[in-house]
Amino acid sequence: MGEEEVKQEEKEIKEKPKEKFKLSFDYFNESRLGIFALIIGIIVAIFPGLPAFIKGIGMMIVLLWGADSVRKTARYGLGTGVPSIGVLAMGFGIVGGITGIAVASLSFGTLVVGGVEIAFGVLAGVALLALLGFVSGNLANGDKFINMKIPGLERGMTELGIAGTLAVLIETSIISGTYAITNVLPNAINNGVIAVIFIISAFAMLQPLNTCLGADERRGRTLLMSIEIGGIASIILGLVTTLTLSAVQGVPLIVLGAVVWVVFYRAYMKACLEEAYAVKGTGLIKTLGG
Amino acid sequence: MIETLLLVLVCIIIGGLLSSLAVHLMPVGGAPAAMATATGIATGCVMLMTGAAVTGLFTASTVASFWVTKPNVILVALSGAVGSMLMIGFTMFVGNLIYIFGAGIVPCSGRVAVDPITKDSQTEYKTPRTDGHGVPTASFVSGILGGFSGGFGGALIYVVLVSDSYAHFSVATAGIVAMGIFIANAIIAAYNIGGTIEGFHDPKFKARIRTGLTCSLIVSVLCGVIIVIAMLTGTLAGGVM
Amino acid sequence: MEPIVMLFAWMLIIAFLAFIACMFEDLESDIGSQSNPNSQIQLAPEMGYIHRYFNKAISGEGLSYALSCTISGTIAMLILLQLESVGPTAALLAIPVGAAVGSLVHMVRSSVCHVGREAAHKRFEQPIYLDVLYGHLLPIATHNFLAVICITAIAYIQSNLGILSGVAGASNPFPLPLLCLIWGLTVGAIGSSTGDIHYGTERAFQDKPFGEGRRVVYHGQICRYGACGTRTSKDVAAFCAKYGGPATGLAFGLIVLFENWRTVIGMTLGGVAGPGWNPSLAAAWGIGIGIVIAVVLVILARTIEKWARNKYGPFVGE
Repeated sequence: MGEEEVKQEEKEIKEKPKEKFKLSFDYFNESRLGIFALIIGIIVAIFPGLPAFIKGIGMMIVLLWGADSVRKTARYGLGTGVPSIGVLAMGFGIVGGITGIAVASLSFGTLVVGGVEIAFGVLAGVALLALLGFVSGNLANGDKFINMKIPGLERGMTELGIAGTLAVLIETSIISGTYAITNVLPNAINNGVIAVIFIISAFAMLQPLNTCLGADERRGRTLLMSIEIGGIASIILGLVTTLTLSAVQGVPLIVLGAVVWVVFYRAYMKACLEEAYAVKGTGLIKTLGG
Repeated sequence: MIETLLLVLVCIIIGGLLSSLAVHLMPVGGAPAAMATATGIATGCVMLMTGAAVTGLFTASTVASFWVTKPNVILVALSGAVGSMLMIGFTMFVGNLIYIFGAGIVPCSGRVAVDPITKDSQTEYKTPRTDGHGVPTASFVSGILGGFSGGFGGALIYVVLVSDSYAHFSVATAGIVAMGIFIANAIIAAYNIGGTIEGFHDPKFKARIRTGLTCSLIVSVLCGVIIVIAMLTGTLAGGVM
Repeated sequence: MEPIVMLFAWMLIIAFLAFIACMFEDLESDIGSQSNPNSQIQLAPEMGYIHRYFNKAISGEGLSYALSCTISGTIAMLILLQLESVGPTAALLAIPVGAAVGSLVHMVRSSVCHVGREAAHKRFEQPIYLDVLYGHLLPIATHNFLAVICITAIAYIQSNLGILSGVAGASNPFPLPLLCLIWGLTVGAIGSSTGDIHYGTERAFQDKPFGEGRRVVYHGQICRYGACGTRTSKDVAAFCAKYGGPATGLAFGLIVLFENWRTVIGMTLGGVAGPGWNPSLAAAWGIGIGIVIAVVLVILARTIEKWARNKYGPFVGE
């Protein structure tokens, strides 16, 4: 019965932001979304004791931020395809996430206040990767270096470094429930789950823009898809968590993922079909302009 | 302890520099090459180089497990290098088969008039208003060298991270971290190339390689420092399965 | 059976699976016009060429195959962990179930692509044809399933080779999902760099002159009519299955074959983990054989280039 209530709660939690997202979408502009996701992401990342489905929501917000950063840097054209920058974010994220976990496993990396673990150590990884992202952004955009001339690339790469690291950290803490390296290594890394963390987070960041690219791309539609991939990620992480931790942690995450996926997949498909030039059952083609 | 840390740092920097060099050496045609509008392999640098490097990483991991303790760094890195080299070699060879027998196109370079290795003239074989097509011999050799250098870089990072005389990470940690560092370097290099390149004989190579290596040096130093910090905590060491 | 013979037998099975995997990978990418030729499908409406191709821009093929293979590997690993008591036969259930989940995710990812890209083509008057959308999803999923099941099986065999063949130390130390990620990235990289040539150069521009590079002015002017009626992406697979697909499969099969072959030969010459086991010698033999193969490849490539130059001659026409 307890799980039923949890399900109901989740539905309410998730349905509200979606309405807000569609109606007053402009409120979360690029800066506000960044600050909001950074705060939520850091809070979720430093409390590994939170229930898995709350971490799942945090993960989706961080991935959404990553997708937004990819969108704002890659829409000017990178010369080598949109996906590269999403993979770059996760390449950074893996390095930063593993460093953050290593630091958090030190005796001073995690404080225990009244029985609640606060893993400040992971912030070391986040900060280092923010630095690495900022430096790479400057290298790519600086006129003495690669000189790509993309407005806001420095900021974008910094954000991607942070978002990638936070995504790896949150997903690892979902699976292992703590940052203690003795738990993380067997549960999240040595069994290879880190590979699925890598690729699915990369997809949540790179696929929305790559898929919606075109003259009439719209930010609202693009970002809906990032949350949809977040739903798939939750389902898969939930399956893993059921085995590594317990069904109490895993099943709500699977339910959350399924609900989010259904809601946002439908919203995205509807938005696309409504905004297309025409939707035809079938038809013949024509040539415009001779 | 200090020597070990410095050695890991140096190996990560060398690995990063070699992977950046590898991306510059690849004859990458990008999407236009799939339409036979540009010389080179018909895909983006990042995907191709990552695919090659992970093939090398696979062989390197098998070879590294030959030794119970203390794998020979050079031999493992060379195995990875040869693995990537073969992957790139077969890809280019079958690509050429499709160009020649599937589309009836003679491989030729669009950027130079004479192939620097075979001294064959290229201009009269080129379709007008294209940037060359196929993978001519100079690009083929360049790609083989690029695969060798990239595989060596990736496998070198992997083996110093996994070896019990250096970082001593677990196998999976070392594999995924090596992949992360490699990808970061390869993508910065791909941005430096910005589209297509034919290999070492391309004028673009000479013009851009210095910037690319400088950027890769800075990124690899930072990545190396971050990994050394992770090593200093001592929590990851000894985590072999 | 001698363990070393078993090792060679498993190696040949891996190479065979690799051939099937990459062939179906390439055909699947052709059905959805993924990766490089996608730039033409994307460009066509902007040139006024309204088409009925399926626009599947998930990402590069390497990444999208890494996604479906890694998910498949993860699910398979979870099932194998659950059924550890059953022994190796559990793989008979784990691999197909994993591959089914992986290809289901791939199908979902492709369904959002077509509507997303065509909706972004509103100002070029490109409609979304629902029969194109629904009609391509199943072929995409089935082709993807065959590729993913082969890759997962390869990864499973390689991570358990020691137990399966009886040669201690033959297994790859990487866990199953990581191996799936590695082979997924590789199979996609090869599929996009070799197989796409046949589609992009030949099939998409079949009404343009044969035997020359596609000029920049042709870009976007894709061939939109089939032998009878309007061409869809499904027709592309039928064409590419005759040359591009098998050639791509050959590339990946040869890579996997020779990669494993040189390692196994090296292991044999190094003493196969017996009392006289010399790891340095084994590694060195593997490297030496690999370099010889690379040299042979360069010579072959040069020979075939020379043949084409002599046979086809310089460019004629304007």
